[in-house]
Amino acid sequence: MSEEVKALESMIGEEYKYGFTTDVEYEDFPIGINEDIIRELSSRKNEPEWMLEFRLKSYHAWKEMEEPTWFNATYKKPDYENMLYYSAPKKKPQLDSMDDVDPNIRETYEKLGIPLEEQKMLAGVAVDAVFDSVSVFTSFKEKLAEAGVIFCSISEAVQDYPELIKKYMGSVVPARDNYFAALNSAVFSDGSFCYIPKNTKCPMELSTYFRINNMNSGQFERTLIIAEEGSQVSYLEGCTAPMYDENQLHAAVVELIAEKDADIKYSTIQNWYSGDEEGKGGIYNFVTKRGICKGENSKISWTQLETGSAVTLKYPSVILKGDNSIGEFYSVAVTTKKQQADTGTKMIHLGKNTRSTIISKGISAGRSQNSYRGEVKIGKKATGSKNYSVCDSMLIGQECGAHTFPYISSENASSSVEHEATTSRVGEEQIFYLMQRGISEQDAISMIINGFVKEVLKELPLEFAVEANKLLDVKLEGSVG
Amino acid sequence: MLEIKNLHAVVEGEDIEILKGVNLKVNAGEIHAIMGPNGSGKSTLAKVVSGHPEYEATEGQILFNGEDIIELDADERAHMGLFLAFQYPVEVPGITNKTLLREAYNTIARANEREELDPIEFEDYIESKLEVIDMKDEFLERSINTGFSGGEKKKNEIFQMAVLNPVLSFLDETDSGLDIDALKIVSDGVNKISNSENAIVLITHYQRLLNYIKPDHVHVMMDGKIIKSGGIELAEELEANGYDQMQKELVLNGEAQ
Amino acid sequence: MSEVAVRDTMLSYISGSIESESQTVAIRAINERGRDVLHNTSFPTRKHEEWRFTDLSLISKNTFTSVEEADVKDFGDISSYYLPEALESRLVFVNGQFNAELSSLEGIPGNVTVGNLSEYGDHNAVKEYLGTITNYDDDVFAPFNDATFMDGTFIYVPEETVVEAPIHVLNIFTDAEKAFYATPRLLFVGEMFSKSTIIEEHIGLSNNLYLNVPVTEFKLFTGAHVHHARIQRDSKQAAHISRPIAILDKNAEYHSYTICLGAKLFRNDPRVIQNAEEVDFTVDGLVLIDGEQIADTHSIMDHRFAHGNSHQLHKVVVNDKAHSIFNGKIFVAKDAQKIDSFQENRNLLISDDGKVNTKPQLEIFADDVRCSHGATIGQLQDEEVFYLQSRGLTEQKSRELLVYAFALESVESMEVESVEKMLLDEVIKYTNRDDK
Repeated sequence: MSEEVKALESMIGEEYKYGFTTDVEYEDFPIGINEDIIRELSSRKNEPEWMLEFRLKSYHAWKEMEEPTWFNATYKKPDYENMLYYSAPKKKPQLDSMDDVDPNIRETYEKLGIPLEEQKMLAGVAVDAVFDSVSVFTSFKEKLAEAGVIFCSISEAVQDYPELIKKYMGSVVPARDNYFAALNSAVFSDGSFCYIPKNTKCPMELSTYFRINNMNSGQFERTLIIAEEGSQVSYLEGCTAPMYDENQLHAAVVELIAEKDADIKYSTIQNWYSGDEEGKGGIYNFVTKRGICKGENSKISWTQLETGSAVTLKYPSVILKGDNSIGEFYSVAVTTKKQQADTGTKMIHLGKNTRSTIISKGISAGRSQNSYRGEVKIGKKATGSKNYSVCDSMLIGQECGAHTFPYISSENASSSVEHEATTSRVGEEQIFYLMQRGISEQDAISMIINGFVKEVLKELPLEFAVEANKLLDVKLEGSVG
Repeated sequence: MLEIKNLHAVVEGEDIEILKGVNLKVNAGEIHAIMGPNGSGKSTLAKVVSGHPEYEATEGQILFNGEDIIELDADERAHMGLFLAFQYPVEVPGITNKTLLREAYNTIARANEREELDPIEFEDYIESKLEVIDMKDEFLERSINTGFSGGEKKKNEIFQMAVLNPVLSFLDETDSGLDIDALKIVSDGVNKISNSENAIVLITHYQRLLNYIKPDHVHVMMDGKIIKSGGIELAEELEANGYDQMQKELVLNGEAQ
Repeated sequence: MSEVAVRDTMLSYISGSIESESQTVAIRAINERGRDVLHNTSFPTRKHEEWRFTDLSLISKNTFTSVEEADVKDFGDISSYYLPEALESRLVFVNGQFNAELSSLEGIPGNVTVGNLSEYGDHNAVKEYLGTITNYDDDVFAPFNDATFMDGTFIYVPEETVVEAPIHVLNIFTDAEKAFYATPRLLFVGEMFSKSTIIEEHIGLSNNLYLNVPVTEFKLFTGAHVHHARIQRDSKQAAHISRPIAILDKNAEYHSYTICLGAKLFRNDPRVIQNAEEVDFTVDGLVLIDGEQIADTHSIMDHRFAHGNSHQLHKVVVNDKAHSIFNGKIFVAKDAQKIDSFQENRNLLISDDGKVNTKPQLEIFADDVRCSHGATIGQLQDEEVFYLQSRGLTEQKSRELLVYAFALESVESMEVESVEKMLLDEVIKYTNRDDK
């Protein structure tokens, strides 16, 4: 078995391809966090007074809060006083076309497989590229505008759509929600904003590609997606970072709002740098993601493929407020080396006849620790509601751990909750069976893993299935998808 | 084709010997049956020959077409044309039968420098094999053995055998758990696959399978050894008198310890 | 541990001194240790993860005195609670105090020791194991028992000895003028290849408030087998917080079944520790609650060595405004390979005001294991109700019958016939709402 373990570990622990650094000239910005720095950040972004107030209120809330410790991970706390909260490449005053983007940055995205020229892009996918603290480019804006869809950086949205931002920012994840959300609310630098008007099906996939480049900077982006009545949108984010020995903090906030009959599908392929074999370096991925199914019959679906980061604390959630609304969570979390992931979801059923489904697949290898933590709560008024959860873990090797912490509660007599979970190893008997049919050991393991996660990966938008497959080093065409 | 000489084997990492000097010779075109009570080592023999990592051959040789295969991995043995129909076919969720078989077929073809089949060619090929075991199309799209009934799993093993067209097949208690109709279908499939170029070794506890597949040679295995070999009459004798009786007789005749 | 203000400890809810000590040396040492911990440990609040869903106000809004100061009332004949199978193997404790007259031990084999702990302070097994098996971090209840128990059950079964008759440990709680506390204690030591059945019962004779905090310690040597039934029929006003723990050597088998029917607040933290290879254990539970009862089970199945089998089936029926909490942990330590552990929590929530919290938890550090858990919260299936109605039963009767069937599985593992029969009556009493 030890040979098999090695083969597998080399397969999923494959060398990180995105660890390079881009040489970019940055705007000067002071290190540390205090009121002055927040004022400076806000003025740098030319923000209106209400935005500054939101930041300052959040900052004061954060100051009073304590860094949480309840999760199943240990790490050295980030040094908040010595962090760079704003890291923007120097840019030309006017950014009219692709040609104005720093050629080094353009090259970076090309190396990552995300060409910024529209003609080179995947047809049907609009991209917002966020480099450290700022959005450097958003493609297909005009085409989207024709359909009435707004897709731009959140900084632009603050300037151009202040009423929408005022109404919705912080409405799903209040600044005081938790320590990292409060910090984000104080210092968020950029992110994506999408608005899908009534009865509109977004004509293309929307996608944001996050890149941390600067060694000292944290990344605090904010994403806000509003789907009006009867609208539909599919959104995907991808993330990579260079390899540094120091840990870097990524504390994002994502808010989704689905009005009556609206449908939001949010997918993540998270491949931040995970640190080295000894656990040195890597990103702390402490993210608050939450959506609200506000209207009747609305639907929010989270799909995530988590392979990167040194430490991940992340629980994409859905508040099922509208009657008959639907929440879904599909997750594959792979940990190797000394990675620690504590991830899962919350499904809060408030409306009548609401439904939620949770499919979580954890794979732990190396010396990693992989935890599923989830909450399913069916409120007193959420009559006729149903939840179905499956949380399976697969262990590879002797040094890793898999943990399952599901919190389940129900307060009415017409709802039902079903939860099941298993933990098992990659079966020796399965590997032998496939090898007896002539398949090599490595391919056999690859097939088994793909079979294990298939249920989740098929939820990813088609355009990104390829990227997901590459990430899991899928050797067999056709066994996934 | 296959010659096993004085084969001894233990469970990997343990001292207890399960095979205690097995000798067996199988030629092309032959069907053999190995019979024995539970725990006699007959299933272990099939696993050791096909390279199961749980067992370690400590002594002896397994010559396959003249080459000793003891050091080879299971997939390399499969490339040479060795097939094991499992007593307990393994479930592999998420991978369809068709995917497995195309990959297996092409891997074996590559190893033998034969031409691989592209998906469309393979489709035609595999369709032609469905009738061997009277299976429906939809079977191909289901995950390997996942949620199959006991009978379906056994049929699936024979179907895979038909597709991969092995030189030598071990059928490990393929008859167990089959009702009479399924037993007929499975036996019929095996008979269709059998020809003068290949060989089949049936491993079974009961004689009933041999009513449908006629072996040329029958061997009785007890306590890790083949203690008696003969023709079909040996199976009939067992059916009539049982294993205990045969062992007693052998002891009386001084043929066993 | 830092000194905490007195108002935050368990002692805040106790009137009078707990400084009195047992005359038995072995017990006295534990009394002292318990007091130390009590003085220095905070009473739990909802901020403790282990107490997140549990409302402890029944304790924190009241004060409990010792039995001596509670003005205990006389009680009548209790022989209806005696088990016919255990007529000569019975220990009776009244409000935690041993009652020799009501006890009967003639049927105990000569080489087996069964009696009051305070009389066996010099027994090697008592000196060796009493108070050493219980170990709950940051807990106030086991230390409260430690600090205050004077009497208790001691059972010692020597090598290769089979005790045929079930040993009945009957804890009776009486009516009193004041709310009092009682701390029943039990130490069981089963030597190699011994075999025994223990029926531990808690019965409230009246409908008064008292605080029952039992601690049971089970030490099983190689190959020892124990069947341990725990039946909780405390007063429906009482609080019952128990700490049963078992530690198993190689090839030991420990099967425990906890039935919860009484108490307004019930909290049970069963814990089984696999301390060698190849053990087999069960931590089953059946909870039937209504009114404003709270029943909370926090179990731990702790696999520290390879080759263990463990099973847990925890069934719950919640009616009226009752609240059930379940937190079942399966731990598998590194190198504890080939563990097969299964846990299932099934809840029937049959009223609109009831509430169920469940958290089945797996913590696995070994790779060659097969662990699974399932949890469901649901109702009776309309199909099933309809089926029975179509056979002529009223809807009410159909529902009662289905709840009865749900509970039956747990009752059937009791092994002792009279206990099974008694529990079936209790189940019928619970399901049959018209009779109430």
